[in-house]
Amino acid sequence: MLKLLKEIFRTGEATVKYPFAPMPVCKDFRGKPEHKAEDCIACAACTVACPANAIQMETDTAAGTRTWSINYGRCVFCGRCEESCPTGAIRLSDDFELAVGSKADLTRKAVFTLADCACCGKPFAPAKEVDYVARLLSQSARGAEEADRLRLTASTCPACKRAQDVQQIAGMGIARQMEAGLSKAGKPAKELETTP
Amino acid sequence: MNVPVDPKTLVAEMTPVSTSEQIATMKKALLKSIQRSAYVYRVDCGGCNGCEIEIFSSITPVFDAERFGIKVVASPRHADILLFTGAVTRSMRMPALRAYEAAPDPKIVVSYGACGCTGGIFHDLYCVWGGTDHIVPVDVYIPGCPPTPAATIHGFAVALGLLEQKLKAETHVEAAGETAALPHPDIPYALRVRLEREARRMAGYRQGGDIAEEFMALLEGHAHTPGSFSLSERMMEAIGEERDPRRAEIIGRLADVVQQAVRGEAA
Repeated sequence: MLKLLKEIFRTGEATVKYPFAPMPVCKDFRGKPEHKAEDCIACAACTVACPANAIQMETDTAAGTRTWSINYGRCVFCGRCEESCPTGAIRLSDDFELAVGSKADLTRKAVFTLADCACCGKPFAPAKEVDYVARLLSQSARGAEEADRLRLTASTCPACKRAQDVQQIAGMGIARQMEAGLSKAGKPAKELETTP
Repeated sequence: MNVPVDPKTLVAEMTPVSTSEQIATMKKALLKSIQRSAYVYRVDCGGCNGCEIEIFSSITPVFDAERFGIKVVASPRHADILLFTGAVTRSMRMPALRAYEAAPDPKIVVSYGACGCTGGIFHDLYCVWGGTDHIVPVDVYIPGCPPTPAATIHGFAVALGLLEQKLKAETHVEAAGETAALPHPDIPYALRVRLEREARRMAGYRQGGDIAEEFMALLEGHAHTPGSFSLSERMMEAIGEERDPRRAEIIGRLADVVQQAVRGEAA
């Protein structure tokens, strides 16, 4: 009997103190995804990566907004959003106490504004994303002129870029024909600048 | 003959079970003055059994939910709390409703796991109803895939009204002039990409990203503190301080990448 008691005291208590004391979690524990909306550029990388469609985005071009939302009730805590985030705006935290009484409390939203295309003036991408890409591109630019050009490229919508490309290619065709015609006539071929 | 079909008419819509006023007041009274153990009956509505494993690990000696009187029982007729797990497959709807009807009023319905809360990863499958609340009224949702035993205990505490819920619905609206900071503006973008790629190749996406972040912080720290240390000396010091040989190897490899880039060699 005494031996058994000794054994019990030696072993100690295995039960955790949890609801009365905080529960320590291990390193790299995948808890609630914490979204820092200030760092988010609304690029939708997490939306594409999310296997459970817990993260969703809705674009409202009339109001000029894009709404990011996460439903913690649908999240499977895989951490793909964190892996794909280019700015580190979403991180899986240690928080696991997610139980709620009403379903509406499981969603979190962030509203971002859309930027207008520099060419046609229609909203095409989140303003923060355009700004981020422009700054990132101008970081590796060689001069101020190139930086300005890259900034303009970043703030032009794909449709306008396509139209400009078509125009440019058409111009190049004419230039090549002219070049060929001129050199046949024996005159020196003039260098024609067609691409910026 | 070919009349366009409205897809909505092809999907059966059910009226969820509703509770009467009387039962709602009874439930409030039960929550206010529950003077006894709360018995739990587990209804598996087509889950993967991950949730079941976590429920059973929360009644093991380590988490010991029974110290709060939470006991898993074998029949819904004994239950105060019904625990619905799984995304509610079409064939499990009737058994789930039978279990719900068999439990005596007032009863608390808990939706357990990502599948129970919203259908989880199976939410848009043709063969599931996608969530417990499509068939029965739910009092508490416990998200998680699966919820850890600690989250389970927290969820029961919320269900019994002992703890307050922590999560609240929030909407962030972008402030005027809000910009995202560029990470590591002092390190050339091409080098940053090479470092991150190498670290992620060696340590996996998540941990590799973390190691690359640490390394670039080290690199920037070096750029800002004027001292006698050269870049390679500083790197050697960082590798020497590292206790984990695997991390030391990765940091050494990243230092090589920096040296290569400085010498102007291609990746």
